Amino acid sequence: MADHQNIYLLLSAILFTIGCGGVLTRKNAIVVFLCIEIMLGAVNLVFITFSRANNSPEGIFMVMCIMAVAAAEAAVGLAIFVLLYRKTGSINIDKFNLLKW
Amino acid sequence: MEYALILFCGIIAIASAIMVIVSRNTVHSALWMIGNCVILAVLFLLLRFPFIAILQVIVYAGAIMMFILFAIMMLNLRQSDDSVDIAGNISKGRYLILALFFIGVSVIGVGFGPMALKGSMTVPAMMKFGEVELLANYIFAEGLIPFELVSVLLTAAIVGAIYLAKKD
Repeated sequence: MADHQNIYLLLSAILFTIGCGGVLTRKNAIVVFLCIEIMLGAVNLVFITFSRANNSPEGIFMVMCIMAVAAAEAAVGLAIFVLLYRKTGSINIDKFNLLKW
Repeated sequence: MEYALILFCGIIAIASAIMVIVSRNTVHSALWMIGNCVILAVLFLLLRFPFIAILQVIVYAGAIMMFILFAIMMLNLRQSDDSVDIAGNISKGRYLILALFFIGVSVIGVGFGPMALKGSMTVPAMMKFGEVELLANYIFAEGLIPFELVSVLLTAAIVGAIYLAKKD
């Protein structure tokens, strides 16, 4: 598996770029959140690849921490989306520009 | 043979990720994301880590995506009110920035060769002791402080989410 390392890393780079493209182009807040999760999944793949290449458990532990952080972020982020929807009636991120100059 | 399987799973992962960002319906995006999580679990399985593959299915596809679907149903979203404006994005140069970023990440990342370090989770050791025991040997010896801090983080997130979503 260390000799197939390059295809995993290339796949992770492609997935991360697709996730970045989704965050920059979509205006629905939930789809932006899904693209952030795509990026986190690509980073998980990199950590697992290097954990197999070094036969080390540190990569797996880092992936578990990333999964815990993603779950916490999903909970708090979706609570914020629900509050925004209750206040304004839409979750189009172009409408939330009160902090802009 | 294994290389062909890795390529096949990779193509499915890329296709499902592209369908997440291209779908007009928000529920379809969430369902394609579930497919992405499951195919990533298959890729973890190809890297000989069955514990993390099962954990990916349970946590990501089972808990986080279900939570997002609950939120979509609760906000009562059907049709997304935008579409991906490709001509406008090309004129603003977003795809060029993304292409440069991808080239940079590929040059830095793909150039790594196999490393010389050897750790404890070799495949024969995993078959003899089990993956969970070798992982637990690491977590409760060297990784204890991050483990406890993650539990504090989850508690804080639960308290925050409940406080935010309460109607008072």
